[in-house]
Amino acid sequence: MSWPASPAWLLELQDAFGQMLRTPLSRSTGTLSAETGGYPPALLAQTKLGREQSSAERLAVYNRQYWFRLFTLLQVAFPLTAALVGFWRFNQLASYFLVARPPRSWDLERVGDGFADFLSQTLPDAEFEVQPPRRNLPRAALVEAARIDAAYRDVFGAPPVTPFTPALDDAARLLHGTLRLSPAVALLTESWPLCELRRLVVGPQPVEGSTGLGARLETPRSWLLGRDGLKLGLLPLDPREAQLLRLLTQNSVGTALARLEANCTEAELLHLPEQVQTWLARSVRLGIWASLEVGS
Amino acid sequence: MYSRGVPPTLPADARGIGLRSAHYRELLESWPALDYVEVISENFLGDALPPRYHLDRVKEHYPIVLHGVGLNILGPAPPDASYLDRVAWLADYVNAPFVSDHLCWTGAHGYSHHDLLPTPYVPELVELVAERAALVQHHLGRPFGLENLSSYVEFEQSTLKEWEFYAGVVARAGCHFMLDVNNIYVSSQNHGFAPDEYLEAIDFSRVLQVHVAGHTRDPSGTIVDTHDQPVVDAVWQLYRAAMRRAPRPTLLEWDDRIPPLTEVLAELAKAKDYCQ
Repeated sequence: MSWPASPAWLLELQDAFGQMLRTPLSRSTGTLSAETGGYPPALLAQTKLGREQSSAERLAVYNRQYWFRLFTLLQVAFPLTAALVGFWRFNQLASYFLVARPPRSWDLERVGDGFADFLSQTLPDAEFEVQPPRRNLPRAALVEAARIDAAYRDVFGAPPVTPFTPALDDAARLLHGTLRLSPAVALLTESWPLCELRRLVVGPQPVEGSTGLGARLETPRSWLLGRDGLKLGLLPLDPREAQLLRLLTQNSVGTALARLEANCTEAELLHLPEQVQTWLARSVRLGIWASLEVGS
Repeated sequence: MYSRGVPPTLPADARGIGLRSAHYRELLESWPALDYVEVISENFLGDALPPRYHLDRVKEHYPIVLHGVGLNILGPAPPDASYLDRVAWLADYVNAPFVSDHLCWTGAHGYSHHDLLPTPYVPELVELVAERAALVQHHLGRPFGLENLSSYVEFEQSTLKEWEFYAGVVARAGCHFMLDVNNIYVSSQNHGFAPDEYLEAIDFSRVLQVHVAGHTRDPSGTIVDTHDQPVVDAVWQLYRAAMRRAPRPTLLEWDDRIPPLTEVLAELAKAKDYCQ
């Protein structure tokens, strides 16, 4: 397709318009408001005065729409994260993220890609303050919450997948092959009771404002998140079972089994072969694998 | 005329609603009487299971037309080839009578702004966008309509009225109007023109569909195309004026603060009263 090129003046106008759109909203007044003083002068000069508003006030409509659309989208995609910090604080975090990584795809579903990693890499403190109510939230909990939200989004939006079921002739190559996790499945780990909190947050009576985190768990807990039809479900995993599934996603089956064995106590090793059989059989029965890949 | 053969058509008095996920459950439980539904193309271009599941059920009950928000026909870069291929595939999949998108730009210089943004209205851009629209229609192989915008700014550079620009593009491209009368009203209030003058410029033989929706006046006094309210009487009156020129399939959009389906259907039912 031979797409005719835009004139240079239009490209310049669109560049300035884009800068205006991405100008972060001010929080100084306690509400989110457009900071029109930073709009590109060239754009202001090209914009006609409104009947009752200045050029800047007219442009501010687009500026506000840009941010509120994206904030809303991220609030919907990360409901647990938003509930933990409250919408005011969440929008601030979203703003940092969107300034660093403005949307580049036509696909709105992609806007939140990388949000959890961004929080992990950029939140500066071990704890940060959430207002109101005035309290501190561990950064690790927030990152964990964002990862859980992202997993829910990805699993729900996964394509239809035909689960991998090993055939008899797969047995010989199983040890050297690597099992690929279905995109309709995710392995979750929580150090706070976040999965239960998320269930409440997105339930029929959603929690508004910032929500209590609950006490840190004595040991991290693992879950299998999967899609059945159009519904999502969580299955609790034994810690060793979770470890096995994670190792299987990163290694050949043989290597995963060897590494699991190396991590077990003497007492665990006594029953490990039967348990591994049980866990593997369950994973296949649940349809969590998409394929077995064997190198050439 | 169209490379995919003769597309199905909607009756001129067909009335439909924009399909929104908030209504999936009610819709699939009750299958209310609707002449057609319109889907946002981009919501169904991916391979995610849930949208496709619902689309498959809906297409068994209603004709479906496609309405895009991501073509970016006035943007600097050509659309991603796979994007247009997927829209064409989706149109074939649902056997859409037509496909529409907006006469606007939505991103530039690698950024996607996810908004429908205006340009100056000048003859140079009529030529440019007409050529592009003709390419899109050819690629899709079925009627392609361009929707007029709600806008909140005008540019000093403009030498054409919005309706002159719009009508010029459609005539030169050989494509179609997807006429949004709420957008005409919103822009007329924001920029101070007479909406009837806008309608005068439209060749109704090339109008594929007429959109109606609600809007909101923001604190600055600007009217914003929010699609979060019932349609105001002034927009219904403009709709009546459009229908008197030539009846065309009608579509009610409701995208924010979405009420129960029954309320949306009750709002749509008003369209019949304004056609008499």
